[in-house]
Amino acid sequence: MLSRRAISTVAGAGMALGMAVASSAQAEPLKVGIVESLSGSQTSTGRLYATAARYVLEKVNEQGGYNGEQIEILEYDNGGNTSGAAAKVRQAIADGVNVIIQGSSSAVAGQVSEDVRKHNIRNRGDEVLYLNVGGEAMELRGNKCHYHAFHFTSTAPMRVGALTQVMSEQGDLGDRVYSINQNYSWGKDMQESIEARADEYGYEVVDTVLHEVNRIQDFAPYVAQIKSANPDSVITGNWSNDLLLLMKAVGGAGLDDITFGTAFLDQVGNVANAGQGAMGNYVAHPGNIELLSEEFVNDYQSMTGHYPVYVEPGAVNGIKLFTKALEKVDFEGGDIDVNQIAAALEQATLETDLGEISIREGDHQTVMPVVVSRVSKDVKYPVDGTDMGFEPIEVVSAEDAIFSVQESCRMRRP
Amino acid sequence: MEFLITSALNGVIYGMLLFMVSAGLTLIFGMMGVLNFAHASFYMLGAYFAYTLSGIFNFWIGLLVAPLLVGIIGILVERYLLRRVHFYGHAHELLLTFGLAFIFEELVKLFYGDYPVNYRMPDVLNFAAFNIFGTDYPFYRVFIGGVALAMFISLLVLLNKTRVGIVVRGAERLPQTAQALGHNVPLVFMGVFGAGAALAGLGGAVAGAFYPTNPNMALELGVIVFVVVVVGGLGSLTGSLLASLMIGIFSSFAVGLDWSLAGAFDWVGLGGWARSVGGLLTMSISSISGAMPFLLMLIVLLVRPAGLMGSKN
Repeated sequence: MLSRRAISTVAGAGMALGMAVASSAQAEPLKVGIVESLSGSQTSTGRLYATAARYVLEKVNEQGGYNGEQIEILEYDNGGNTSGAAAKVRQAIADGVNVIIQGSSSAVAGQVSEDVRKHNIRNRGDEVLYLNVGGEAMELRGNKCHYHAFHFTSTAPMRVGALTQVMSEQGDLGDRVYSINQNYSWGKDMQESIEARADEYGYEVVDTVLHEVNRIQDFAPYVAQIKSANPDSVITGNWSNDLLLLMKAVGGAGLDDITFGTAFLDQVGNVANAGQGAMGNYVAHPGNIELLSEEFVNDYQSMTGHYPVYVEPGAVNGIKLFTKALEKVDFEGGDIDVNQIAAALEQATLETDLGEISIREGDHQTVMPVVVSRVSKDVKYPVDGTDMGFEPIEVVSAEDAIFSVQESCRMRRP
Repeated sequence: MEFLITSALNGVIYGMLLFMVSAGLTLIFGMMGVLNFAHASFYMLGAYFAYTLSGIFNFWIGLLVAPLLVGIIGILVERYLLRRVHFYGHAHELLLTFGLAFIFEELVKLFYGDYPVNYRMPDVLNFAAFNIFGTDYPFYRVFIGGVALAMFISLLVLLNKTRVGIVVRGAERLPQTAQALGHNVPLVFMGVFGAGAALAGLGGAVAGAFYPTNPNMALELGVIVFVVVVVGGLGSLTGSLLASLMIGIFSSFAVGLDWSLAGAFDWVGLGGWARSVGGLLTMSISSISGAMPFLLMLIVLLVRPAGLMGSKN
């Protein structure tokens, strides 16, 4: 119907006629590019983001797709580095994607976000959306924020805020807190947040350490430092080996009475490797399988071959929120305008198993609840083939968890 | 005092671990002149094989058999890959092993997954060796040190005191003469490469149970073992040991030292100014402890280009 109307209005212009006829034959599909670390050292995380995103988008396709077509899902391997990401973003845009999804590594997220921003400035009317499902750096929501970037993951202030609140309520925080973090944007965000919360929860930050990222093989010297500071608890944003080695070294030194507050203890393999040393330690995360509906967990398992773990529940919620926005915008088979999708996404809300999540307009950060869990044997889904898992202690509500919009974010709206 | 002893102890043990991994590399480079970029991959394979074997049999069988399997892979690599490109010179050998490192990494991911596997020491080894200033010292760290020391001594004896050692050294120095005397030089090279790989495999089997066994372990240690070999002097076993210990101890002490350039400026009364400038001047040594090995390499290369114990040529 649309095409006939189009023809009648622009009947004189041959070229426009040709285009209209072409679009009548086939609706325009929404193209989504997943630009992830699918090889290299961050594969383990990148693969999870890709799986989670794909799961949600394929669900949409099962129900008839979008804009009268199946959503086209394209995967690109950014190799885990910024130069690879820049190349793959170019390629994805050349392939005509409307939306780019990426998660692992804030450094790569920064590259993708900037590339998308520049592309959008130069190509008005042909913009691309960037959905950040994992980059937690505050900078991305600060001076690098822009209208076409949406951040579906928690940040350091959200995780640390929830951690200190719950650990303090549980009596595991103590008066003396040790901060050990990785020396880059994320680790610095963590350290800042740990120091910022000291007065509110009545603890003293006895020492702060920033060390190099995933280059230290032997954490025994750091354990000696921790021991001499005599803390009650250690809060760390370390991930991957840096977390594992740290916990192992502390466990090996017999300092079992120190409680760990972490951001990434739920990374696959961590609990198994840390062994009994993992017991009683905390993690603040955007999702915990224990709190998810059985229906979703089993459906996810049947579609992807594994239970939703680590970053997957959070990423699924983020992309689901995006599909909520899609439902609000109907292009009736015509050209896709991502500006309309972005506007709808700002208004979208999603009811998750943990509570409602939504995007705030100031910096496009998702306002979402944060779960604080403790490693325990009293769980439904033990992890890593051990008898331990993550027992949810408290869900910190979205309003309590969220941080205020940074002044450095000056978002220009189209 | 506590800081001194704890740091020294930690540093020495970490140094011994570095030696355990780099010994094979030194051997291969010293005897064959092959810069083996896949060496840390053999270390990783050792850890993964030991993990599999310890699941089927037990930890000790894994520890013994894994290095043999890695050695066999090393032999196959030498026989069917390296020997073919040897003719084209060092650059080709280097590129080949560089490529192999990537292939091994992706293969490991294919078979074992992207996550760290649950390879852990047996409970009989999981106890505190002694208590130092109120901190338990894990026995397994001492065990790592012991294995490395045993490795060093047996290699030294093998190379310097036995007939095998004479043949190997002869084949390296004067291959044509050794061949004329009836020794099968390609076989010797194959053996050396296999032995070097097996040593890395043993390192992996021992260390993998203490440090996590994951697909990135080769990447993480790969660069640093090259630093060890360069600092120690290409091909010198004693040099490697010395370099490993130095790197271990320097890194360990650096963590605890809050020194910065601003601190040095205090001596001339400019500390306040330096702190107000910030940046590089206030960066403490502890935050760059991971860069220590590279700093050491830089200094050694400037002062003694051939490395600590390397011969001039």
